[in-house]
This record gives sequence, structure tokens and C-alpha cells, in this order.
Amino acid sequence: MSFLTSLTLLKRRPSGTERKSREWVKVGIPRFLNVWGTAPFWTAFFQSLGVGKVVFSSETSEEQYRTYGKGRVTMDSCYPVKALAGHIGELLHKDINLLVVPMIYSLPSFLKGYVQDTLSCTRVMMAPENIKAGFLREGDEFAKRGIRYVSPFVPFGEPELLPLYLYRALRSAIEDITMEEVKLAVEEGFKALREFDRKARELSLKIIRWCTTNNRPAVLILARPYHMDPGIGHEIDAEFQLLGYPVLWYNYLPLEDWLLNWLFGKDVEEGRIRHPLDISDVWTSSYSSNTNEIIWGAKFGSRLPWITAVIRLSSYECGMDQPTFTPVQRIVESSGTMFFKFGELDETKPSGSVRIRVETIAYYLQQYSQKIIEAKLKRLPPVPHQLVVY
Amino acid sequence: MRGQQDYLAYRPRPFRKEERSKVTLLYGGLTWKHERLLQGALENMGYRAKPLPQIERKDLDIGKEFVDVGACCPTTFTAGNLARTLETLKKEEGEDGVKENYVFVTVGACGPCRFGQYHESYERVLEGLNLREFRMYLLDLMRMEQAVEGGGLEINTPLTLGLFMGMFLGDLITDMEYSTRPYEKEQGKTDKVVEESIQILYEALKNRPLRGKKWGNLLWHLFTDYFTKALKEVKKLWDEVEVDRLQPKPKVKITGEFWLQTHEGEGNYNIKRWLEREGAEVIPPPVAVWMDYLIHMEIFKLEDAKPFVKGYFLKKTVATLVAYLYRRTYDRLRKALGNIPNPLPSQRELRRLAEPYFHYRLTGGEGHMLIGKALYALKHKQAHMICELSPYGCLPNTMSVGAMAKVLADYPHLLYAPIEVKGDAEVHALSRCQMVLTEAKKRAKEEFYQVLEMTGLTLERIREFEEDNPHIRRATYHVPRYGFVGTAANYVYHVAQLMRGRR
Ligand code: SF4
Ligand code: SF4
Repeated sequence: MSFLTSLTLLKRRPSGTERKSREWVKVGIPRFLNVWGTAPFWTAFFQSLGVGKVVFSSETSEEQYRTYGKGRVTMDSCYPVKALAGHIGELLHKDINLLVVPMIYSLPSFLKGYVQDTLSCTRVMMAPENIKAGFLREGDEFAKRGIRYVSPFVPFGEPELLPLYLYRALRSAIEDITMEEVKLAVEEGFKALREFDRKARELSLKIIRWCTTNNRPAVLILARPYHMDPGIGHEIDAEFQLLGYPVLWYNYLPLEDWLLNWLFGKDVEEGRIRHPLDISDVWTSSYSSNTNEIIWGAKFGSRLPWITAVIRLSSYECGMDQPTFTPVQRIVESSGTMFFKFGELDETKPSGSVRIRVETIAYYLQQYSQKIIEAKLKRLPPVPHQLVVY
Repeated sequence: MRGQQDYLAYRPRPFRKEERSKVTLLYGGLTWKHERLLQGALENMGYRAKPLPQIERKDLDIGKEFVDVGACCPTTFTAGNLARTLETLKKEEGEDGVKENYVFVTVGACGPCRFGQYHESYERVLEGLNLREFRMYLLDLMRMEQAVEGGGLEINTPLTLGLFMGMFLGDLITDMEYSTRPYEKEQGKTDKVVEESIQILYEALKNRPLRGKKWGNLLWHLFTDYFTKALKEVKKLWDEVEVDRLQPKPKVKITGEFWLQTHEGEGNYNIKRWLEREGAEVIPPPVAVWMDYLIHMEIFKLEDAKPFVKGYFLKKTVATLVAYLYRRTYDRLRKALGNIPNPLPSQRELRRLAEPYFHYRLTGGEGHMLIGKALYALKHKQAHMICELSPYGCLPNTMSVGAMAKVLADYPHLLYAPIEVKGDAEVHALSRCQMVLTEAKKRAKEEFYQVLEMTGLTLERIREFEEDNPHIRRATYHVPRYGFVGTAANYVYHVAQLMRGRR
């Protein structure tokens, strides 16, 4: 940190909340479930508290699960939940003394205000309590290694309560921590998250501009954020990139007003929706954050001309995805956009079959994309000038 | 290529007030007793109402035909049940008959699990049957007042309170039933009395006087003796049921996912009846506990948010008063049945017991209650064994079952049988339950003989005493609890006390 930056930071901190140095605190965070999508928050949050370091476990892999997680899972579940055992187990072998496994109850969704709630899947929020038991039932594996285990309740959707729950959880491990500090750290966490989000959406816009200018198709992925984890989503998106198709993720689509008005303006005018981010026309029980975003992503994908194929990824035994299968497919296909689903993803990467399917999809993309783009363009007002790069 | 407007979420046509007299409300999801009582409450408010037929095994297969693969077992069963009903009605009354003469009403909760999304599956049923014109309404469980478009169905204070009463009464009769049947002298008597009791209470609900609209109506429900009088009538029927409590039976507390634990029928392998046939006394889960949980979750949230809530003290007072009146009403009704039905557990205690294992704000399904209830039963010597019913494919339940691993490590004495209900793996599930039940039976017997030894009584002596005091063999005779789990053990101890001239 440069001298000037540190001065600015210090200046912004209210008096009495000077950043304490807690070099001795070495935080480990499993890279699991909705930590994907909120990681920048966690890094900035703990940096603000002055901890020595923040370590994330590695990406999910079969090997990680086999080595560190097997035998710790006491029930059957979807793989993204079971994989947490591997992440926690791996972190026990790292140089950390504070293991933080957040119970993410709700998420900071861009759809907030347009949906009923922004909750996580019940398994996402409860997974830590479930997997923790596997590390405690035959003796406290954390204590044996001198590691404090902390599992804060994390309601991102209730930002005023977030510092309280984080403080309650952390004060047992970091004794001199104060509520004021936590509040500030939460603010910094949100700031970092917003900044990351902004950059990611900017990149998506860049891709869309490139597609517009070059009249080229793109592929949209609809999944849960943790399908970005190579061990969970099995890098299916990368296979498309290798074949030259730009890939967009539903959770980082651009949200510029002019773009949304172009795509959804007619629906708003006709009173079908109140706002471009309103999904009540197609989905009425909008409680689950990721589900809501998937639904909105499907609407976006069905409208944006250069998205000619939507790829749905879903884990085996995913109960949250189940009710959405038909609506999502119907939303996408109603505009003639192609829809393909890779369901039942498990720990084993189905490399061979993935490649064959991706190649088949690529064939369809090549065959039909231009027609799809033309047809979708016809239903929209003229392309906004902001999209075209000269 | 089709137009974008093609896919729209299902929206039911309005249900107009004028249609009320000819349209029948269909609903389901509870026991036949609760459903019959709700029917009384609905008819009282001028609706035609009819519960869906009892769940059958085939509903699971029918459900699978309509909903996307991977649905949890309650969703599939109930979707299949709806499909079967609508198909039958279609045959009997034609397509127009179904569309015009019936509507289906279901409740949702702010569900992060599929409970809040059941209706998505029901929509698939309507599509599959080509009945998108059929009207289905989703009501919010936590709202006292709401109406469907057109005003055909108005959930107002009198109706909500009527439904609550129906729910309470259904719970209480169910508690009477399960605490009596295992010990009944005359086989089949309990079932007969249950039927008669429900009929009396149904009539009471149906003929409930409508006093006041909102606050007046609330006050009437809180203070009236209308329902306690009806229950006293009912109690007379139960007085006539003779029981033999000198049978050491393991007490099995049923916990688990809401629908599955409440259900009585093929949806959960008829497990409660099966347990009874295997020699157990079942403690059924009252619906009222779940509602109490929802009320308390609001209180807990409010307490956490204290610094940010405007008018905190007023809100807290109101919420606490609601919780108090809820329990008070339940207790008043229990009392009318001689306090035989179990009291509601303290929600604060459930939370505290579960705290080390499961955070109270993790909602979805039964949340922390699954663990809380198991520990509560252990601590209060309420049951010898817990039978937790987990639906196949359930989201929250799998998580609490996993967390139980640590609970069991801390309480190795706790007999716990998590049963996964899939619909088609009955033998496997029941034999798992059987294994734990064997141990529970052993404990019940040991406890019983210990009490006999402790009191120095013999069965013959007790029988003689019963001959002289036949009233203690009534199903409504309240046997106090003396710190033993089993009914028989407490009874022997109680008789010993009576013999010594003390209670
Ligand atoms: S959303 Fe699906 S995959 Fe993710 S935790 Fe929930 S059930 Fe598992
Ligand atoms: S609690 Fe479980 S079984 Fe019940 S609706 Fe939710 S996911 Fe399905």
C-alpha cells in the first residue's frame, strides 16, 4: 500500500476505529457454494480487520474430496454441498488459525427490490452446519490443529444486520474486535464486491459489443455461481470458448439502462412488467436469489439477439433447479434461441461426452446463429448506438 | 419462430364473489381430521369446500409423469394427487365442469426450499392435463387477510381464526387418538371415537357464530367457551374408551419434514400405524408447533434487529402477546380434554437446545427444530426414540440429518432413526426403523419392570386396584409424569401413589 493510499484510508475511518494490526490471525475460507460470487467481500472484509492473511481452499476437485472429505459426509446431497468437506479438510492442512465457513442466508442480488426475496438455497445456508458435524463427531478436528472454527450467519440481504452476526461469530476468535470495526469492514467488503461486479459486467458488455460489431453469436450460461468452479461446472463454458464462442454468465450481464430499455422497454410499456428487472411475468415465487437471477438471465438471453444458445448447467439432485427446468427452457425457446442442458453434474467430469455434446452444439450454432440473430433483431427497435463500436 | 410473449407464468382467472355458491374449493396436504375441520371453518364462511382424496401410493407415479425430474417426494405426491383428482372430476363433470365448478387453493410460505414453489409443480399438472384455464390460488401462510382476484375467496380475520381453530382441534384429537389407541381394550373403539369427535367439532366449526369482524372476532375467539364446550362433549365420548396402560410400549416421537411427519397414509408408508402395530406408542407432531415456530422466528428476527427497528418495544410487545395468546388458546383447548394432549414445546428452549448444532435463523423446512425436538424429547423424557421422516430429495432435511451426526456423538443414548421416504422403498425404510425400535422396546420394558420393582407392586395388585377404581382406566384419566418415559411406567408409579393415598 502506498503512503498516500494509506493516508486516504485512515482519513475515512471514523475516530476510534483505526485499523488494528492482527498479523497473527490467519484466516482460511473454503471456496465453496456462494463464496463464489461473494469472495471479494470476504477478502476486503478481513483485510479491513487487519488480519495477517486470507487463504482460500483450492478449486473443487475429485482428488480434494477423496483426500480430505471422504468419510466426513454423513448424508446424501448434491455434490456442491458434499464438496465442502474436501475444502474444509484441505484448509486444516494449511497454515491458518481461524477457519471461517459462512452460512450465507441471503445474497446481495441486483434484483433486490424487484423480487420477493434474495435467499440462498436452504442447502447453501445450512451446508456448514451439516458438514461441520463430520469434523466433530469423532473428536474436534479443528481444535486438534489449533484452529478456531467460526461459522457466521450471513444475511447479505439484510445489510444492517450483517455486521451484528459477523461480530457475534468473530468475537469468540478475535477477542479485541469491536462492532464499529466490523461495520466498517462490512462496508469495505461491499465496496470491493460492487467494484468486482462492475468490472465483470463491463467485460460482459465488451463481449456483447464485439458480437454486435462483428455480428457474431455468443453463448449464455445459466447455472449457479459455483458452477464457475471447474470441479463443479466441469469447465463446460471453457469448451465453447475453445471453439471460438464468447461466453457470458447470467450473473454478470450488463445492466446499463439503455440496454435494458432496448430489450425490455416494450414489456414495460405494455404493462407486463414494472421494470426491466421485474420477473413476475414469468416467475411468481421469487424468493431464491440465484433462481431469480437464472430466470432473469433466461429472459435476457431470449431477447438479446447475439445470444443464440443458452446452456443450462445443473448439479445432480439439485432441488432448487428442479422447478425451474420447464419455465427456463420455455422462456429461452419462445424466442427461437437454442437451449441445451447439462444436467445431473456430479463429481466426475464427463469429459468425453461433454466434448461430443459441445461439438454438436457448436454445429448448431454455426448452422442457425445468423438466422436467430436476424429474427431476434426484427422484434426489437433499432440497435442502440452504444452497442456498436466503430 | 414463435413470439417472445409465449411464455408467461400461470395466472388464474378471477374468481368472482357471485360464483361462490357454485364453486367448490379444493385443498389438501393435512390429515383427514384437519381437512374435515377446515371444511367446517370454510363452510361456516359460506364457501363450498372439499378436501382432495387421501394420498395413495399411485399418486407418486402420477406426479412423476407431470413434474420435472428431481422433485422432492411431498411435491411429487401432492402434484400426483391433484392430477388424479382433476382427471376424475374431468371424467365426471367434463372439462368445463372442472374449470368452472372447482378451484384449488394451496398455501405457500416464504420458502427458500420447494415449499414456496409447490405451485410451479402444480402448474405442470395443469398444463399436462390441458387445464390451464383451471383456477389455482396460492395463499400466503403468514397473512391474516388476503383475497384472490375477483373477491371469490377472501381470507379475513374470522376465516383465518376459524382455520386456526380447526388446526388446533385437529391436533388435539390426533394427540388423543395416538395416546389412546395403543392401549384400547376394545379394538377399533378409538378410531370410532375419533370419527365421532371430528364430526362434532366439524359441526361446531360449521355453525360457529360470527361475532365481530376483526378485533371483535379475535376477542370472541380468545374468550369464548364455544369450543371448550364442544370439546367437553367430545371428552364424554373419550371417557367411554377403556384402556389398559399396563403394557410397556416404547414411545416414538415423529419428527421430520412438515408434510411427511403430519401425513397419515401411503405418502409415508403409513408409518404411524405401522409403528403401533409393531407395539409402539406414537407421539404425533402437531401442526400447531410449526405455526408457533413461524411466529417465534419473527420474534427472534425482531430481537436481533432491535437497534434498527422503529417502535421496537411496541412491536415486540405485540409479537410476544400474539405468541402468548396462541399458546394460551391451545392450552385452554387441551384442558377441556383433561390435558391428555401434549403441551406445545417452548420455542425458546428448542432454539437453545439446537444452538450448538444448528443456527436458529437457518430457515427452510423445519430449520433447527429437527434437532431441537430430538433433544427436547430426550431432556424431558418424552420419548424412547425419535423417528425422523426425511423425504427423498428434500433440501433442508438432508442438512439437519447430517448435523445430527454430532448430536448423536454428544448424546450416544439418544435413539434416532432417520427414515428416508421415497415412496417405493418401504421395506428398506421400515426395517431400518425396526432396528432402532427393538432397542426402544427393550428400554421401555426395562423401565417398566424397574418401576414395578421400585414400587413393590405386581400386575395382579394393580389390576385389583383398577377393579376398585375403574375411572383410572378411562382414556381421559390424566396420569401425571414422574420422570419416566413410558406411559406404563408412569402409570405403575401413579397407581402406587394412589394406593398410598397420595397423588
Ligand atoms: S442450489 Fe442445488 S446444487 Fe446448489 S446447494 Fe442447492 S440443491 Fe445443491
Ligand atoms: S422441506 Fe423438503 S420435502 Fe418439504 S417442500 Fe421443502 S424440499 Fe420439499
